[in-house]
Amino acid sequence: MEIQERVENGVSVVSVSGMIDSLTSEKVRAAFLAQINAGAASLVADLGGVNYTSSAGLRALLAVMKAVRHKKGDLRLACVQPNVQKVLEMSGFTSIFKLFEDVDAAVASFKAG
Amino acid sequence: MEKTYRMTQAAAFESLGVMRKFIEDACRAARISEEISFDLQLCMDEACTNIIEHGYAGMNPGSIIFEMEIAPHEVSMFITDFGHAFEPRPAPQPDLSDVMNDEPVRGFGLFFIYSLMDSVDYVTDELGNTLTLKKKLG
Repeated sequence: MEIQERVENGVSVVSVSGMIDSLTSEKVRAAFLAQINAGAASLVADLGGVNYTSSAGLRALLAVMKAVRHKKGDLRLACVQPNVQKVLEMSGFTSIFKLFEDVDAAVASFKAG
Repeated sequence: MEKTYRMTQAAAFESLGVMRKFIEDACRAARISEEISFDLQLCMDEACTNIIEHGYAGMNPGSIIFEMEIAPHEVSMFITDFGHAFEPRPAPQPDLSDVMNDEPVRGFGLFFIYSLMDSVDYVTDELGNTLTLKKKLG
C-alpha cells in the first residue's frame, strides 16, 4: 500500500496504490483524516492504483466523507478502476460520492462547486 | 475434472492478501474469468474478515482452513474456522439515506456475499464452523 499526497489548485489529492482491505484500510483513512486535520476541505482520492477494495475500503471512504462534509467540504473520487467501480455501484456508494475520470476533472469540480 | 486446493492460514488480516492471491492463481490456472475471480476473492475476504473480527473475538488467535473446489461448471469455496459460530444471514443493501449520522454503516460484507454467490450454506458442529460459497461458471 502506497499513499502520496499533493496539493493542486488548493485541492488535496491523495493517491492510493495497492489493495484496500481490512489490513490496509486504516492507513488510507488515516492519510485522508490527516489532510482534514491540517485544514483541507477539498479532497480528491486518486484511486488509479487501486484494483481491489473490500467493504473495509468503503467504510474508510465513508468515514473520510463524513468528516470532511462536517467541515462543509467534500471528498471526490477519481480514476476509479473497474473492480472498485463494481463494488461502489453494488453498495450504492455511487449515489453518495462524485466520481471523475481523472484527477484534473475532480480537482476542477471544486471550482465549479 | 475437479481440482481441489487447500490452505490453512492464521485468522489475521495479514492472511487476506495471501488467500486472495491463492484464489487468483487457482482461477488463472483454470482459465476462470477475472470477473469471477474477483467475485470469489471479495466474498472470501468478507467472510474471513467476519471470522477474524467476530468469530475469534475474545479468543486466542485461531486459524482458517480455506478449501476451493473447481469443477467444470462451478467453483466451491469452503471456509472453516473454530471460533464462535456466526451464522451469515442474508443482508439487504445497507441503507445510505442517512449517511451523515454517526451510526456506522454495516452489513456490506454479507450483502456482497449473497449478491455475488449462487449459494451460501453454513454448518457448525464439533468439527468447526464451515461456510460454503458456490459460484456457477459460464
